[in-house]
Amino acid sequence: MTVFKALLIDAYRQLSAAKLFWLTLGLSGLVVVLYGSIGFNDEGVTLLFGLFDVESEFITAGSPWARGFYLGIYSYFLVTIWLAWVATILALISTCSIFPDFVCAGSIELSLSKPISRLRLFLMKYLVSMLFVMLQVSVFCLGIFLCVGLRLGEWNWMIFVAIPIVTVFYSYLFAVTVFVGMVTKSGIAALLVTGVFWMALFSVGASEGILTSVVTSQEVQIERYQEGIEKQQAILDEIIAKSPEDFRIESKQSRIDEMKTDNEASVEFLGKIRAWQEPISWILTALPKTAQTIGLLDRWLSSDDGFDLGAIMRGDMSELEEVEEIDPTNHWAVQRETEKRVQDEYDGRSLWYVIGTSLIFEGFILGLASLIFCRRDF
Amino acid sequence: MSAIDLVDIHKTYKGKVKALRGVSLDVNEGEIYGLLGPNGAGKSTLVKIIMTVIHATRASGTVLGLPIGDVRGLKQIGYLPEHHRFPEYLTGTQVLHFYSALCGVERSTRKKRAASLLDRLGLQGWGRKRINTYSKGMLQRLGIAQALMNNPKLLILDEPTDGVDPVGRREIRDLLSELKAEGHAIFLNSHLLSELEMVCDRVAIMVKGKVTMQGTIDSLTNESKRIEIEIDCTPPEWTHSVFDKVDGQTMTKLGDNTSTVQPMIDRLRSEQCAIRSIKPVRESLEDLFMRAVDYIDNPGSHGENK
Repeated sequence: MTVFKALLIDAYRQLSAAKLFWLTLGLSGLVVVLYGSIGFNDEGVTLLFGLFDVESEFITAGSPWARGFYLGIYSYFLVTIWLAWVATILALISTCSIFPDFVCAGSIELSLSKPISRLRLFLMKYLVSMLFVMLQVSVFCLGIFLCVGLRLGEWNWMIFVAIPIVTVFYSYLFAVTVFVGMVTKSGIAALLVTGVFWMALFSVGASEGILTSVVTSQEVQIERYQEGIEKQQAILDEIIAKSPEDFRIESKQSRIDEMKTDNEASVEFLGKIRAWQEPISWILTALPKTAQTIGLLDRWLSSDDGFDLGAIMRGDMSELEEVEEIDPTNHWAVQRETEKRVQDEYDGRSLWYVIGTSLIFEGFILGLASLIFCRRDF
Repeated sequence: MSAIDLVDIHKTYKGKVKALRGVSLDVNEGEIYGLLGPNGAGKSTLVKIIMTVIHATRASGTVLGLPIGDVRGLKQIGYLPEHHRFPEYLTGTQVLHFYSALCGVERSTRKKRAASLLDRLGLQGWGRKRINTYSKGMLQRLGIAQALMNNPKLLILDEPTDGVDPVGRREIRDLLSELKAEGHAIFLNSHLLSELEMVCDRVAIMVKGKVTMQGTIDSLTNESKRIEIEIDCTPPEWTHSVFDKVDGQTMTKLGDNTSTVQPMIDRLRSEQCAIRSIKPVRESLEDLFMRAVDYIDNPGSHGENK
């Protein structure tokens, strides 16, 4: 415990000596203040402490949509964009040289000559290096917690779930930083390779997301075609039963044939897309799932009653049902159903899949880095 | 019991570079032991193997009774690496606390020892200052204080007086003598032969990965002891047969027994030959070192070394 405490205190001293740590903290504070400046009244949303008003029929003071909107800004934008992108980039810049500095000549001898096994020293150093992110996110969450409490009158402790989520997300990337830092002993190289790795993860994740959407969309389309064919066939059968010479028979048959052709084209297209989607899904399973890890916060913060920012962005506040009734194969109806199903698909992915498999990848990379650390002559 | 007892240590780096070729040495408890050698001799590699910073290719032996490479033994070893680098964001006191905490020293003990060692190493008043304001000599003293924070049984110092001014060097020498008196075994790795000569009980000379000489300075220089007599006149003919060497007006008799030269002095005086000086001469550590280096380079040109 003495050793871990010493490394933890040292990590704090190292961070607090870095200007970037305070700059990031200051920027986080500014983001929290801007968030706190959003309020609600009977007419809608107020911005910058009432300086601007945005009228809204649904998002008004005390409405469930206001709650969904305010928490959604936190989970959709502040966590996803600020914490998971901007603050993470600043954190990586601040911490990329921790391990290269740790193993540099003249410094590593002082640590290795202490009665601690190399593996233990390595793992403890890795854990305390997360302090930057943990501290930044903790302070940020505290600010958000107070804003939500004061604005909505709801003291939502789930906000603090962002601390472990963002820390775990950051640890996927930091493991790569550490590995490259161990191999090259260069902070810059570690940062660059981590950046490339992150982009690669983003690309794979985005590809998987797009392909999943396309596959789901085709599935919905096919379902709608089949429903439509059955419905049209039933009408046609009814018409034929009443009057086999009815003038509508030809046009109905033509419509059914057209739908069957479209359906076959969709089935064929679905097969082709699945051939791409499945391997990419397998690749993603083996890699850290950064976006889905951050997405967990939204899953856990969203209310079960559906009053959330996702619903607001999908347009669920207004009624779209009549569009679906007119033509179930209508583009908007299909898109809306696809979005719902994709969201359900992501929400249904287990914690084991999202975090567990990502941690296995992290453990593998860390294992390699620790192997180098334990076997290297310094 | 030996503080360090190394037997047949080998280290071959990648690329087949043989840094150590079967080093064996022992350091007794309570003695100051000096390791000498030219650059690239393998001294730092040997020290790093003792401190587990480098893995030996082949090694046996013990350090403080535990097998070499056993990290448990490091709890009782203080180490000052050559060209050490402390984190610049720490103050002197924080450096002492941090590295001793890694050794498992409790906070209350750390507090007492840090204050006492800063005083002892002449750094009083500097404990709260960041080390990026320290001079090289001060950093070296802080490094020694750091090595002493766990009250080690064995102190391993790699170039401890590097960058330290003459006054500081003397203080460090005095400190080493005090530590020895307190029962600490000290293993010194240094280029400064004159300093080692002043403080070491025993030395080993390493050249090209091998220990070529090991023992007390007295025993290593014993065969080089001689008495030199310098006279004002031309040496008489008979001196060539009784002295081991006659060079100009200087005559040399090997050995340190002064009684052997008394009859020769009497005879020179009786022949009106004025004697300018009579002095016992012994090989310096530097001479010994040069001889060891030369022996490795030209093994056939000298007699058997110890």
